[in-house]
Amino acid sequence: MAAPGHPPPPPDPQFVLRGTQAAVHALHFHGADEVQGHPLLFSGCQSGLVHIWSLRTRRPEAILDGHGGQCVTWLHTLPQGHQLLSQGRDLRLCLWSLAEGRNAVVDSVPLESVGFCRSSVLAGEQPRWTLAVPGQGSDEVRILEMPSKTSVCTLKPEQGAKLGMPMCLRLQQADSSPRPLLLAGYEDGSVALWDVSERKVCSRIACHEEPVMGLDFDPQRARGVSGSAGKALAVWSVDGQQALQVCRTHPLTNPGIADLALRPDRRLLATAGWDHRVRVFHWRTMKPLAVLAFHSATVNCVAFASNGLLAAGSKDQRISVWSLYPCT
Amino acid sequence: MMAVFDTPEEAFGALRPVCVQLTKAQTVENVEHLQTRLQRVSDSALQELQQYVLFPLRFTLKTPGPKRERLIQSVVECLTFILSSTCVREQELLQELFSELSACLYSPSSQKPAAVSEELKLAVIQGLSTLMHSAYGDIILTFYEPSILPRLGFAVSLLLGLAEQEKSKQVKIAALNCLQVLLFQCECQDHPRSLDELEQKQLGDLFASFLPGISTTMTRVITGDFKQGHSIVVSSLKIFYKTVGFIMADEQLRAIPKVQAKPAVEHRVAELMVHREADWVKSTGEKLTILIKKIIECVSAHPHWKVRLELAELVEALLLKCSQSLVESAGPLLKALVGLANDESPEVQAQCNKVLRCFAERKVVMGNRAFADILSESLHSLATSLPRLMNSQDDQGKFSTLSLFLGYLKLLGPKVNFVLNSGAHLQRLSKALIQVLELDVTDIKIVEERRWHPDDLSASPKTSATQPWNQIQRRYFRFFTDERVFLLLRQVCQLLGYYGNLYLLVDHFMELYHESVVYRKQAAMVLNELVAGAAGLEGEDLHEERVETSKEELREIVTSVLEEYTSQENWYLVTCIEAEEMEEERMLKESGLQAITSGAHACQVPSFPAFSKPSPTICSMNSNIWQICIQLEGIGQFARALGKDFRLLLMSALYPVLEKAGDQTLLISQAATSTMVEIGQACGYDSLRHLINQNSDYLVNGISLNLRHLALHPHTTKVLEVMLRNSDASLLPLVADVVQDILSTLDQFYDKRAASFVSVLHALLAALEDQSAPPKVDENDSRPDVEPPLPVQIQIATDVMERCIHLLSDKNLKIRLKVLDVLDLCVLVLQPHKNQLLPLAHRTWPSLVHRLTNDDPLAVLRAFKVLRTLGGSCGDFLRSRFCKDVLPKLAGSLVTQAPVSARAGPVYSHTLAFKLQLAVLQGLGPLCERLDLGEGDLNKVADACLIYLSAKQPMKLQEAARSVFLHLMKVDPDSTWFLLNELYCPVPFTPPHCSLHPVQLWGATGQPNVYTANVLHLLQELPGPLLPRYCGWAGPALAEGSGSCREGCKGGVDNRSML
Repeated sequence: MAAPGHPPPPPDPQFVLRGTQAAVHALHFHGADEVQGHPLLFSGCQSGLVHIWSLRTRRPEAILDGHGGQCVTWLHTLPQGHQLLSQGRDLRLCLWSLAEGRNAVVDSVPLESVGFCRSSVLAGEQPRWTLAVPGQGSDEVRILEMPSKTSVCTLKPEQGAKLGMPMCLRLQQADSSPRPLLLAGYEDGSVALWDVSERKVCSRIACHEEPVMGLDFDPQRARGVSGSAGKALAVWSVDGQQALQVCRTHPLTNPGIADLALRPDRRLLATAGWDHRVRVFHWRTMKPLAVLAFHSATVNCVAFASNGLLAAGSKDQRISVWSLYPCT
Repeated sequence: MMAVFDTPEEAFGALRPVCVQLTKAQTVENVEHLQTRLQRVSDSALQELQQYVLFPLRFTLKTPGPKRERLIQSVVECLTFILSSTCVREQELLQELFSELSACLYSPSSQKPAAVSEELKLAVIQGLSTLMHSAYGDIILTFYEPSILPRLGFAVSLLLGLAEQEKSKQVKIAALNCLQVLLFQCECQDHPRSLDELEQKQLGDLFASFLPGISTTMTRVITGDFKQGHSIVVSSLKIFYKTVGFIMADEQLRAIPKVQAKPAVEHRVAELMVHREADWVKSTGEKLTILIKKIIECVSAHPHWKVRLELAELVEALLLKCSQSLVESAGPLLKALVGLANDESPEVQAQCNKVLRCFAERKVVMGNRAFADILSESLHSLATSLPRLMNSQDDQGKFSTLSLFLGYLKLLGPKVNFVLNSGAHLQRLSKALIQVLELDVTDIKIVEERRWHPDDLSASPKTSATQPWNQIQRRYFRFFTDERVFLLLRQVCQLLGYYGNLYLLVDHFMELYHESVVYRKQAAMVLNELVAGAAGLEGEDLHEERVETSKEELREIVTSVLEEYTSQENWYLVTCIEAEEMEEERMLKESGLQAITSGAHACQVPSFPAFSKPSPTICSMNSNIWQICIQLEGIGQFARALGKDFRLLLMSALYPVLEKAGDQTLLISQAATSTMVEIGQACGYDSLRHLINQNSDYLVNGISLNLRHLALHPHTTKVLEVMLRNSDASLLPLVADVVQDILSTLDQFYDKRAASFVSVLHALLAALEDQSAPPKVDENDSRPDVEPPLPVQIQIATDVMERCIHLLSDKNLKIRLKVLDVLDLCVLVLQPHKNQLLPLAHRTWPSLVHRLTNDDPLAVLRAFKVLRTLGGSCGDFLRSRFCKDVLPKLAGSLVTQAPVSARAGPVYSHTLAFKLQLAVLQGLGPLCERLDLGEGDLNKVADACLIYLSAKQPMKLQEAARSVFLHLMKVDPDSTWFLLNELYCPVPFTPPHCSLHPVQLWGATGQPNVYTANVLHLLQELPGPLLPRYCGWAGPALAEGSGSCREGCKGGVDNRSML
């Protein structure tokens, strides 16, 4: 019974995590701890630190310092074992062992690109997993087999393509085929689908006019979404012939998407905006559902937990955690 | 000394004559002769001659014909004497003596106890008792054979008659004691052997015939006159339960065969015998139940505690021994025991608790299906009648009813769930609790009492920390006034929480909490105690097999209750009339907070009726106050219940509690403060400060989220303030963004909420200023091309000072004053950072000048203080500005006002003009000193202030003016000295040398003037040697040098004396 003239107040974060003391650039949820069913949240910040937050106490459980004070741009945990990957602008990708309370770097991969391009991992239950990182040449992507760190190949666009630097990566494997695929967003605004084993581009679409800042893919519906520095989101699909096709674009009020993420149940899409706002869309219809206004500076990253919690990290040094439409 | 006859021969020689004599003539004298002799015979000798000596005595008793009572009495006494020194070895003798003694009290003619003297009765009773004790070894057992039944029965009925009807207390007690002896209940040490099973059964068979007589008579005695004395009742109770307990003992009855064995006795006796088979047991049990109920009814309220104590013993004995045979009495017996468990006598209480514990250990109740059923049934029926009883009974009645209820709960222990699982009974029970716990909310004081020291959070806990939790706020209930009733109610709830299914109970009372505002406070009280009880009892636990609520479960339950308590609808209630604010809040509230985040708290409670009424009544506000207090108290209890585990709940609990600690209503802030203390202790923090400091991240979270809806949470700034006052530097990184939020919110609400924001800014800056060691910026981090980022506290102070510039000209004086204070702190914090401070000081200047020259005296004073602080770090900047913009105006106004104040009467000191003069005079001195003004400007100040040294000025202004000069002296002592001497020169100056020109000062007229007093006063304060000053002064005069050097030399000797 909202009184006329009083629109419902904007939603609030469930809580806010403070204390990184630097802009937050990477977020990643990891499962749920066995005792309470609360996931852990990893955050990487400008000052090179990785905070491991307990969502039970809402306090950092541990702080990892492994990037020499250089910005941490990407975080990911491996499905088996308590292992964390962190990518920093110190040109190192660190593999941490977190088992039994240890917080030690057990291995690292030297990187060759100082850009903001986040890496991607394709890991299953097998001990071997695949890693995609930005490569040496400004337009290259390197594929490594881990944990042996064997270089599998380097994906370099054909001469004259002028895609610019890779900006975001996503390794993907279709259920039907054992061949890994790589979705990559480039500086020129295009998204390319690589067949990793063939080392060739299957398909490419120029869906943005500005550099692609983030993308995510829904393998069930064979659809992906990408955001750029420009004023629109692009939704595209991959058909059986591995051909990319733009389905629709969704205009934004303010330009600039720093990151985007699909909720694990693939019902919601969240975007991190340069306009300090997180926007939430219904993934199937792309209907805008909410504008989450809390941060006072650019939102750099968003992440969903398996239980549906949404976290957003911002330049204002805060991480806001939101409990949106409950997962079903 | 009389000779003692040791050997039987000697004794025989001595006794024979008297025995013969007695046999011949049966007189009292002869009996006495015998007794005298007997006293000199040794026990062993007497034993040998027992029969011989007894003969004349028994002969006397048996001689037919009327006898004098006196003679019989002496014979019986003598007989008793012999029996007490010897033992009876033949069964026949025992039986005969028994009959002969019994017969003494019987008059065959009237078929009734003989109407004889009390002395004789006593003697006979004593004789019988002694006889039974003198029976040697197992003789006594052969005595109790069926054939004795008629004679024993005769004696028993005789004694019962005496016990009931005799007037003399002594006789009554003797008869009762003798009964005990006859019934094998004697407690003396002379019966070493306990009976074996068979012997017990034989005795039981025998005594069973007496059961009706004994039990009814004893019941009549027990329920008789209160005035008969407690010892008679106690003995009767003892005989009752020992007899019943022996004859009806389950153990014996179990061994009784179905068919009675043919007793080897004559028919007449056999008819008297009772066969204790099932039917007999049943009918006897029924009859006994009636008697037991009578006894309990009468005795449980007996005024003497020893009687009630004996009743507890009775219950114990009967329930332990006869739980099956007396199963019908179990209900009343348990009820009696339970009722006595809260007896006013500690002895009775202790005994009852001992019995209860013993029952629990032996599983009397729980191991016994029937008993458990009886208890459940009793609890059922009590629960059913509870609402009615709570409604109709007075305090004492309520007390006993609740005591009983509590006792049942204690006894039932975990089995209480049988009762709770019945929806109807839970309903009844909760209805009764809710009803009786209704508070009286008509007291107007509750709403009116206000807290006076809003910032004084840390002061109060000390007093409350020393108090045990039980010292909860005094509550006034509608239906009772006795504090003990409340205590019992709490215990009842705690026990329910301890044994009962906590999920079920919490659910049920939570429903009631939601159901109506009428129930809400009571339901919350019950919920609080349920949780407290679930965590453990203060008293002891009688049961082992309790299903404990696990820590996790308890935390889960507490979390959900806590969420309800602190929800918008239940936490932010109207407790005072702030009409406009209310309206605004209401609008917002009604618009609903159901944004998409509400999924997690889907449970929407209908809004509190107070909101729908146009204006809340005193009663509803009182009710709201109590509700908040109860909920606060509950949170404290939850913390206690969870201990360190409560730390996980601090993220949601701490903020709301701290918010209430700053509430205006005294009761609420008190409750919240003790809750804070409670939480601190439970979670293991040394102090409130520690608690707040260690959890400021949770507080900051609440603050920052609530700042987003300031209209809904107008007290948010208060919480921030309290937090800032209680925290240290480690907090800064956490609050930095909140401060930004505050400032941007302030920017939006300059007009409305400036006051509360300014106090937050003040607390913030005070905290910043407090931090001796600001967090260091890592030097390695700074790159050469970029300026290192400012430390957080500098950034904050800069931002705040920026706001002060605008707020300095607020139309509200209070705000202006506070802003000046904040500004002062800003300057202090920014002192080491001139690059930030100077431009800001520059921008602040115009506004500050206004405060100095054109504001309330209070503002003038504070502005001076800011100037002084500012002077410490940017003196040069300030000096020229001050001298140019401010000093002329101030000096001018001082000069023009001086004649006014000099003429004014005493009322003048109440005028604004006076206060302004005073403020300026008080402020100028320290500032001049701090700014290190040049000579010209100092003179300006001095000139303006000199006039105020006049005695015509009001005293306060004189004092203030003197203070100006005291400061000036520190800056420039010489010119001040000169100036003062110009006003009044106490001593004429004589040059130290005749070559020096004599000094002529204006004040040296020698005539005291209006300035004299103050000048003298000041000159006394002026330190340092005069000579150099004098020379310095006289310097120019020396050039003109001529005149009286002689005089000068002379004066120079003691030129210092003039000081």
